[in-house]
Amino acid sequence: MPKIKSSKRTKQQPPEGWDEIEPTLTEFEQKMRDAENESTAGKRKVESTWTVMRVHHQRSRYIYDLFYKRKAISRRLYDYCLKSGYGDANLIAKWKKQGFEKLCCLRCIQPRDTNYGTTCICRVPKAKLEEGRTVECVHCGCRGCASSD
Amino acid sequence: MTDPATLGGGNSTEENDVEFPILCETCLGDNPYVRMTKEKLGKECKICARAFTIFRWLPGRGMRYKKTEICPTCAKLKNVCQTCILDLEHGLPVQVRDTALSIQDEVPREDSNRRDYLAKMANRLEVMGDPLDFSGKSQPAGRDMLKQMTRKEPYYKRNRAHICSFFVKGQCTRGNECPYRHEMPEGDPELAKQNIVDRYHGNNDPVAKRMLERARKSDKLKTPEDKSITSLFVMGMDKTVTQADLRDHFCAHGELKSVVVVPKGNCAFINFKTRAGAEAAAKAALGGCMVKSKPLRLAWGKPKPKGPDSELRRQASESSGARMPPGSLGSDTFAYPSQDPTAQGAIGK
Repeated sequence: MPKIKSSKRTKQQPPEGWDEIEPTLTEFEQKMRDAENESTAGKRKVESTWTVMRVHHQRSRYIYDLFYKRKAISRRLYDYCLKSGYGDANLIAKWKKQGFEKLCCLRCIQPRDTNYGTTCICRVPKAKLEEGRTVECVHCGCRGCASSD
Repeated sequence: MTDPATLGGGNSTEENDVEFPILCETCLGDNPYVRMTKEKLGKECKICARAFTIFRWLPGRGMRYKKTEICPTCAKLKNVCQTCILDLEHGLPVQVRDTALSIQDEVPREDSNRRDYLAKMANRLEVMGDPLDFSGKSQPAGRDMLKQMTRKEPYYKRNRAHICSFFVKGQCTRGNECPYRHEMPEGDPELAKQNIVDRYHGNNDPVAKRMLERARKSDKLKTPEDKSITSLFVMGMDKTVTQADLRDHFCAHGELKSVVVVPKGNCAFINFKTRAGAEAAAKAALGGCMVKSKPLRLAWGKPKPKGPDSELRRQASESSGARMPPGSLGSDTFAYPSQDPTAQGAIGK
């Protein structure tokens, strides 16, 4: 998905600072391609997409960290990354909210995806879970993304 | 617009929305607040293979999700729970209940016959209400036997997750997050070979066989502790066996004080003058005696053998005295914090 080439006007040169982050982003892209091409042997049906979700989270996290936490890139570069599809704007929007700082993916907070209209089990803080058994959520394999964990 | 409910060959009784499934208390679990999902025509019945509404719920913490396995028609025909296929009143396998109450299995096995029979019965159940009697009012002896075998407490261990077959082989890669139990299978491997259709129809059920055998063995007239009991309780009688016949049969073991026949309950009481005589008769008739080619079952009579009426009256008063209003005991222990009526608001940790 990244490296989109628009047909008409080829995009202007990527903004300043691009050269510092470009190698990491290429690495992420390579990881994503590997995840997409993984063999599905020995995995559950839902498990095959988990690595894809993980890489997506990591990549968006990298961009979010750079801009909001480390303040290492400019607004322009940040917007450019989001527009080119290197980071998920919707997911990052959630990370800015209190309580959702460590959110794993957008599917896990979608109540329409559950039988009883709740959020995914991975959103429950481990302290409240009271079972002693680790849970891997069915959507993305997350083991707990509550902010207190 | 073709109604999906009628597409499966006129299964229109399922169209009438079933609000709640036919379940036993153990299957529902210990939590009084259960969330259930309902899916119309979700799966096919394991017995009759017709589509029906499935209900799915979690029967308590740390349990597996349970769902209804057979359709309500099949369940009503045998008066069993839709999930565990055990009797609703006693929680016993169908075979055990049917042998005790001498009920014949009328559901045909072959596919087309079965479908027709079930469709006919479904209609009849709808129109006439429940015509079948499983309370065993006509068979007090059988009913007693069932009462003995019933569990007193619900058995929630049944609702646990199944055993991880990979763990048994030593190959479970899921480790800690595996939802199946990491234990070795316990119990008799003979009892593990169960088939839902057999269990429903009540034939060839290994658990039922085991239970019936155990009942028969323990039935072999263990002498009661109360040394003053000198009466034997005879079951399985009918009109052909008279008082005189019973007298003739039992006077050989000891002198009889009296013989009382209760035609309504198909039973009789044999009161001996001496305890030794009663014991001798019991030993001689271990398992059943034949009187006038009628197989009879013997048991020890209850204390104070005055006569059948007073006996029953005493029994009734005893049992009603022991019964207490439900929920008065043990209301202080809560399985869930939400059950505590004094808790105000959310309970933090």
